[in-house]
Amino acid sequence: MNLVQRFINPMLSKEFRLRMRSKKTPWAISLYLMVLGGIIFTFIYLYNNNQAYFDPQRSREIFMMLSIFQFAMVSFVTPGLTAGTISGERERQTLNILLTTNLSPSKIIVGKWLSSLSFMTFLVIASIPLYSIVFLYGGISPSQLIKVFGFYIISMLAIGGLGILFSTLFKRTGVATVVTYAAIIGYTIGTYIIATIIQDITQISSMSKTTATYWMQILYSINPFTAILSIFDEGPVVALNYYMGGVSSRGPQLPLEPYWMFISFFSVITLISILLAIYFIKPVKKKLLRRK
Amino acid sequence: MIQIEGLTKRFGKMEALKGITFEVEKGSVFGFVGPNGAGKSTTMSILATLMAPTSGKAYVGGYDVTKDPKKIRKQIGYMPDFFGVYDNLKAEEYLNFYASTYGISQAERMKIIPQLLELVNLSHKKDSYVDTLSRGMKQRLGLARSLVHNPEVLLLDEPASGLDPRARIELREILKELRSMGKTIIISSHILPELAELSDVIGIIEEGQMVTIGNVDQIYRQLQGHKQLKIAVLDREHELIQHLKAKTYIQGVYQENGYILADYLGQDEEQIKLLQELVQANFPILTFSEVEGNLEQIFLEITRGVGS
Repeated sequence: MNLVQRFINPMLSKEFRLRMRSKKTPWAISLYLMVLGGIIFTFIYLYNNNQAYFDPQRSREIFMMLSIFQFAMVSFVTPGLTAGTISGERERQTLNILLTTNLSPSKIIVGKWLSSLSFMTFLVIASIPLYSIVFLYGGISPSQLIKVFGFYIISMLAIGGLGILFSTLFKRTGVATVVTYAAIIGYTIGTYIIATIIQDITQISSMSKTTATYWMQILYSINPFTAILSIFDEGPVVALNYYMGGVSSRGPQLPLEPYWMFISFFSVITLISILLAIYFIKPVKKKLLRRK
Repeated sequence: MIQIEGLTKRFGKMEALKGITFEVEKGSVFGFVGPNGAGKSTTMSILATLMAPTSGKAYVGGYDVTKDPKKIRKQIGYMPDFFGVYDNLKAEEYLNFYASTYGISQAERMKIIPQLLELVNLSHKKDSYVDTLSRGMKQRLGLARSLVHNPEVLLLDEPASGLDPRARIELREILKELRSMGKTIIISSHILPELAELSDVIGIIEEGQMVTIGNVDQIYRQLQGHKQLKIAVLDREHELIQHLKAKTYIQGVYQENGYILADYLGQDEEQIKLLQELVQANFPILTFSEVEGNLEQIFLEITRGVGS
């Protein structure tokens, strides 16, 4: 067996083949680009209507819009791609056979997870021409562009990890998909609302602002929408300007910039989700906690 | 090759296995028979390392199913009672994928896949998508899939269920070939006659208890104490009945649908002698055979006690 074969995950190569052979795939790519392109071109049209000059500030806003829409699409599509991977095998009655092969549970989970996400990555890469059109107008630095794509990748990994975890936990794909959407929506809205409540309370009460603002910053940093806005120096977390390198006299500093806080936190979510999925897919599990 | 000792399995309050014990020798075929829900699939799942027993021990090739599942998986080819296939995958690719899950090199796969397809008579379907194959073909492909890593043990859970008579016969022929290859096979069914011809030993299970174990003949004798001979002659029927009644090893003689049925208590050697005697006495014999349909009755007799 040569070196390349040794490192190819059989699950991954089979999934690639199945995915790209499906008649739905070209339709999914077209639909994705049509929706994203339709929204963004409508924005460009409305923003630049009857204007005879380029305004870099407006171009930046359009770029932000595109990034937020793309993130919304990633959040919408990724659960659909991942939440059915293990439960789908179970429903198709192929999981038991897989579990009796030499494929380890980790290879099954990682193979399924990466193959689903590779299709999502493919969709994001396919949208690069849309970015290049918006990027042409200026107002965006290359580092911001790289950060946005880094943000997508880590979000996909984490949302995909959650999708795989719920797909392992729930027998039905429908339930796993709904729970994944609920978890993502609940997390996004929940962290934002709690951070906002803390912000309001610190303004009207005499409670310890130091601790409260610290948690508020953390919550805003790990919220996907406020985190993506922070890439463009926008949003509540940037307005507070507490993070390291900013004005430090107004409260405790975060150990990292909001963007890197988000990346770190979502990396941890990814890791935990995948490890739990590997544990739960095992047909015979060792007890996680032993009673003494 | 396979040892099961006092195996129990509970699902909440329901006890699916109540301490079953049996052994399967290397190279033999063990027919696991019982009605639906008797515990056959649960036993198979435990042997396939897909389920942990509540208590008791199960060994495959000397390895404990709970302690060395990885080593056992290399030794077994498992075919569950119900299994699906992947859409958009051709028969050859299907086998190729499963072979790759066992770490078999591409060159090796290219050699064994045509051989496996030939074994299960699917060479002509190698480029067909698996979801377009008939149920019988899918079962045969599933059997080929369970053989990709050349396992010593085959665990076949109701492989013939839902197949038409032709597909059953084709499957039985393949299984005979596998037996001749020296594979140790556990094959389950809820139909005793289906396994009678194929199995060296038959174990009958009901409600999680092993009711009886032995070869078909032993089980037959154990329950009925005799077998039934079915004879048809062109004429001289009355004379033949009298002839048979005179034999000490024949308990009773009846006539049914143009056949003479005789309850036979003797050994195989005496049965041969009886036939030779009838031929020498110039009886115009059309049929001389054992009644096979009684296996169904045996099965009902055996399982009736535990079930009720």
